[in-house]
Amino acid sequence: MIKCENLQKTYPLKKGQGYQALSGIDLEIGRGEFAAVTGPSGCGKSTLLNILGLLDNPDGGRYLLEGRDVSRFDDAERSDLRLRTVGFVFQSFNLLPRFSAAENVRLPMLYRGVPKEEAAERARALLEKVGLKGKADNTPLELSGGERQRVGIARALANDPVLLLADEPTGNLDSRTGLEVMDLLRSLNAAGLTILMVTHDLNLARAAGRTIKVRDGRIEP
Amino acid sequence: MRFSEAVRTGTLEIFSHKMRSFLTFFSISIGVISIMYSLTLIYAMTSRTKKALEVAGPGRMTVEMKRNGGSDSALDAKEAKSVITLEDALAVRSEFPGLYMVSPGLKKWVELSHGQFSDEKVVEGITTEWKKRGWVYKLRGRFLNQHDLDTYARVCVLIEDGGWMKKPKWYKFYGWRDKFQDYIKHNDMLGQTIRLGNNLYTVVGILREPPAEKNPKYFMGVSNWDPSLLVPITTSQRFLNGWAWSSGGVDDITIDTGKEATIGAYKRKVDKFIKARHGGRIRFEIKDYREIIKERLADKQRDMYTVLIIGAIAILAGGIGIMNVTLATIYSRIKEIGIRRAIGASRGDIMTQFIIEAMLIGFFGGVAGILLGMAGIQYLASKGDTDMMLLQWWMPFAAIVVAVLTGFLASLYPAYQASRLDPVEALRYE
Ligand SMILES: Nc1ncnc2c1ncn2[C@@H]1O[C@H](COP(=O)(O)OP(=O)(O)O)[C@@H](O)[C@H]1O
Ligand SMILES: [Mg+2]
Repeated sequence: MIKCENLQKTYPLKKGQGYQALSGIDLEIGRGEFAAVTGPSGCGKSTLLNILGLLDNPDGGRYLLEGRDVSRFDDAERSDLRLRTVGFVFQSFNLLPRFSAAENVRLPMLYRGVPKEEAAERARALLEKVGLKGKADNTPLELSGGERQRVGIARALANDPVLLLADEPTGNLDSRTGLEVMDLLRSLNAAGLTILMVTHDLNLARAAGRTIKVRDGRIEP
Repeated sequence: MRFSEAVRTGTLEIFSHKMRSFLTFFSISIGVISIMYSLTLIYAMTSRTKKALEVAGPGRMTVEMKRNGGSDSALDAKEAKSVITLEDALAVRSEFPGLYMVSPGLKKWVELSHGQFSDEKVVEGITTEWKKRGWVYKLRGRFLNQHDLDTYARVCVLIEDGGWMKKPKWYKFYGWRDKFQDYIKHNDMLGQTIRLGNNLYTVVGILREPPAEKNPKYFMGVSNWDPSLLVPITTSQRFLNGWAWSSGGVDDITIDTGKEATIGAYKRKVDKFIKARHGGRIRFEIKDYREIIKERLADKQRDMYTVLIIGAIAILAGGIGIMNVTLATIYSRIKEIGIRRAIGASRGDIMTQFIIEAMLIGFFGGVAGILLGMAGIQYLASKGDTDMMLLQWWMPFAAIVVAVLTGFLASLYPAYQASRLDPVEALRYE
């Protein structure tokens, strides 16, 4: 489902110079896999996830998503594909603070043009699915960390993505709620969702089916 | 759909920054108020011009002396001793039989008395041509005739105020009262003898003006020099004592060609003819009716431009305010933009959102301006400002459109900037 060949990414620094965050990533991930991405801070994990999630373009190499080369897509094409196929989960949740849980979950559907009522209904169903029945009208400030991350996950699922990308989803949670979130992700994976999760927690990494180790912009064998 | 969501986001954003939004509303409101005010003035001016032209007909022009200024290159002011005379008018009349009307006028400010009553009034000397002015009066008794003119008869016709078909509220409080009009209303003057200056005159007729709503005088604005009495112009020249503009001749000759097409040609011919009669030693001008109306409305036009400029500046300030607010919100919402991009928003989505937000600010400011402006205009109208009574229903709409359009234009650049933010960078922003 995902196939990367020699992916490269260089961040421009001062005149002419650049920092090579990814220096040749070769990676293949099959449908339905649950892979944990580990590695020291600054090794390029987030950069990789951003490219896989179509937030960013690689400078070199190829990225095939479901057989299509998307590495040269322009911003509009990437936005559209991202909207339909990818869900992001963040370490710091990244919910919109002035909107209720349900409104946060509804938002990606509205960008896809789903009618408002239908979107609202589905948002409630998703919140129930992640165990937040009865909290749909709470704003993020009225929710605990674990609950916020569940909202984040529900939002990532809004448009029925084929790929879920989670960048340290338990990084801001205590270990018990971290495990609960991990359980939720595993049940989603069991239902067929492909998941890539960055984590520093080796226990969580082990709980995923596969571990991908990144070091200095490369994948360790 | 996305539109209503953007409206919701925008409203949340606007009301969570009350002071910032208020300041922007404020200048937009001022802009909207002055736009409405100017629109009303423009509307009033054009409708007055139209009505005045309708009533007078398009073939009118006036021959009069150049009062001041306006240098005549061919002629030194001291050299030009001649004035327009009654004889000029009569000569024009017989030279150009095709003209519908050639009506000379000579106004004097005269002492008037009848029994205990006395007042100072404008008395206009006229010929029988005056009747052709076409303004609908009701006549009791008889009008001045050629015999009166030929014999320097001391007779006069009174002009009675037409009143109102439906008296407006403001008139009761702010309308002026004319003692002379009051007097002739309560005393039947027909056939009576009154004193004008040093002589006695017989009132042979009373002309009643049309009601104010139908009176072209009111479309043009009432002047102090509108006559209250008419006498034969020959009598006025020979006997009537009173202060006049004209020294020896007449004030003006009002000519009506009968139709608009010939007005240009007659203007040139009459000009040449009168110049020739005075051997070129005369400084006069011929103005057609459009020019006269324009001149009378010139003050209002100046007012209007002033207000319009103030409005434009206020709208511009409001626009800059909106641009500033939009830029400021963008900087404080970079993270939000990143999140929205990450969950699938395109550049267009982001741009739309900020544009709609700015248009909302324009809209709310516009509505506030309309409420204030309508209240102000109603107030002026209730105080007797006849221009402000002409506020039309579409003017607030036009003002709102301008306000919303200002929001739209002012937000284009900031919204474009927002849409160009790199989603990854925006997401990393704290
Ligand atoms: N926008 C950027 N400009 C310059 N350097 C960057 C930028 N983003 C990330 N980097 C650098 O690229 C490297 C990889 O970053 P990242 O993928 O975020 O690492 P991590 O594995 O911790 O998620 C880091 O050294 C970081 O400093
Ligand atoms: Mg990272």
